[in-house]
Amino acid sequence: MKLSKVFYNGLIKENTIFVQAIGLCGLLAVTTSAINGLAMGIAVIAVTVGSNLVVSLLRKIIPNKIRIPAFIVVIATFVTVVQMFMKAYTPDLDRALGIFIPLIVVNCMILGRAEAFASKNGIIPSIVDGLGMGLGYTLAAVMLGAIREIIGAGSIFGIQLFGINFEPALIFIMPPGAFIILGILMGLFNYFRRKKESEGIKEETLDEFIYNID
Amino acid sequence: MNLFTILISTIFINNYVFAQFLGICPFLGVSNKTETAAGMGVAVTFVVTLSSVITYVVHHYILANLGLEYLQTIVFILVIAALVQLVEMFLKKSSPGLYRALGVYLPLITTNCIVLGVAILNIDNNYNIIETIVNALGASIGFAIALLLMAGVRENFELADIPKPLQGFPISLITAGLMSIAFLGFSGLV
Amino acid sequence: MNEIVKLGLILFIITAVAAGVLSVSNAITADRIAELDKIMNDLAMQEVLGAAEEFRPVDEGKFNAFKSVNSKVIEINEGYDSASNLVGYTVKAVTKGFGGDIEFMLGVSIDGEITGIKILAHEETPGLGANAEKKYFTDSFKGKPVSVELVSSKSPQGENEVQAITSATVTTNGIVNGVNEVLKAYNATFSN
Repeated sequence: MKLSKVFYNGLIKENTIFVQAIGLCGLLAVTTSAINGLAMGIAVIAVTVGSNLVVSLLRKIIPNKIRIPAFIVVIATFVTVVQMFMKAYTPDLDRALGIFIPLIVVNCMILGRAEAFASKNGIIPSIVDGLGMGLGYTLAAVMLGAIREIIGAGSIFGIQLFGINFEPALIFIMPPGAFIILGILMGLFNYFRRKKESEGIKEETLDEFIYNID
Repeated sequence: MNLFTILISTIFINNYVFAQFLGICPFLGVSNKTETAAGMGVAVTFVVTLSSVITYVVHHYILANLGLEYLQTIVFILVIAALVQLVEMFLKKSSPGLYRALGVYLPLITTNCIVLGVAILNIDNNYNIIETIVNALGASIGFAIALLLMAGVRENFELADIPKPLQGFPISLITAGLMSIAFLGFSGLV
Repeated sequence: MNEIVKLGLILFIITAVAAGVLSVSNAITADRIAELDKIMNDLAMQEVLGAAEEFRPVDEGKFNAFKSVNSKVIEINEGYDSASNLVGYTVKAVTKGFGGDIEFMLGVSIDGEITGIKILAHEETPGLGANAEKKYFTDSFKGKPVSVELVSSKSPQGENEVQAITSATVTTNGIVNGVNEVLKAYNATFSN
């Protein structure tokens, strides 16, 4: 199995937010700024890679019947460790992300990867899959956070972009903004994906046509 | 905090879906028919309320007394998972019709952020047992309302001419955003 | 039956290992987390009562007397300068804002002036009530006498007026009322 393919799958092809639309709870709430989105993304990467690693390590030991509760215990452990270290070393970010750090435990994406990939594959591919999926999430989180911050507060990563006279559209930092921007981003992602796929199909049919003339 | 205030606040002002972003996954996935939305709403109300009571007891009488509050996340999610399993088994035996109607959605409630979210918020806000129950009921009712509203709108999508890239999740999200703006109108009610 | 026991046992072992990992992680971080709370508190006190170098909690009798007038107080500290003279007090209290409770720290000098206010925790709307953290708001409290009741105004002139936060009346009033209640209790308990 090509590792680069696994990685690309997680990052783009089956991007957890734009394509699969799972794991949305935390995303919409914390992305009021780019830095918050980035922090959340890193926390998700840490948990996903960690849980994929452990699940893959234990995949021959965990009996099939109790695999879901076992995965949940593993994920919950990593989430709690991440939370403890954030409280101790990055308290501002911990306060900004709030309840959504422990809620990473019910992020369907992480449980989904444990079930669909890590429990059936080796350690290195599982780590790569965790990285890819986690980065896909982070990509969405930073994009969403950055757009909301730029339009809603006139800054990015805390750096003011516009002059004093810029009137930010506050609605985008508030809940409605999260829904609307994500909806538009998903729509754009769909649009470009369809374009790419239809171009791919055109090439394939052309090849078939050429090879069949003789 | 006054019980009535908690109820109004959780259903309308701080609606768990439109303002607090909990319960989004089933909100987008289940809400395309009003019947399934109603069934999901009832199931969630039951699980959220019961799990809130149980996790309250576990936290205050077991974890706090042993100084093990840091085990909160792991213990709560296991309690919720076990509870959903029990509810599933109970429904299967006692009311097979309802069980079949809810079908796949029941196990999905375990990973519904709203269940764990409400359980954690009850502890964070230092609610007593009565306030916990009211908060849980309010959150679930608010969730059910959001779900029903969304289902009603989405049933009409099938008749509308939506551009291809926006079909499915994108238009649902934008709709949720517009509904969220409407709910903002409730702020300042209490 | 045997299978259920075996499954239960394996799940128990996994959970036990997890709990073990967590207790190690807790041991590593718990001290620092508790320390951080104290550090943030000290920094806040220093910010609102700049003249003080050392802070000591006020004695229980005075604290209870204060609390009987204003139940929303959390902590009161005395501030001493480098020569161990009492220069003022810091009062940590809570008040009701727009989105929830607002926790703030007020600094008062023994000359009867507000030396500063810091918003410690809040759930106000970003871009609106959350601007309570901004300097243009908190600075407008500095120098106000503790003996008068404060009001907010769009362009504060008088010695009892503080800056109102644009489009955030509820937040502004919540904080101003909270401060006034602290001042009332302060005047009843500490003025001599």
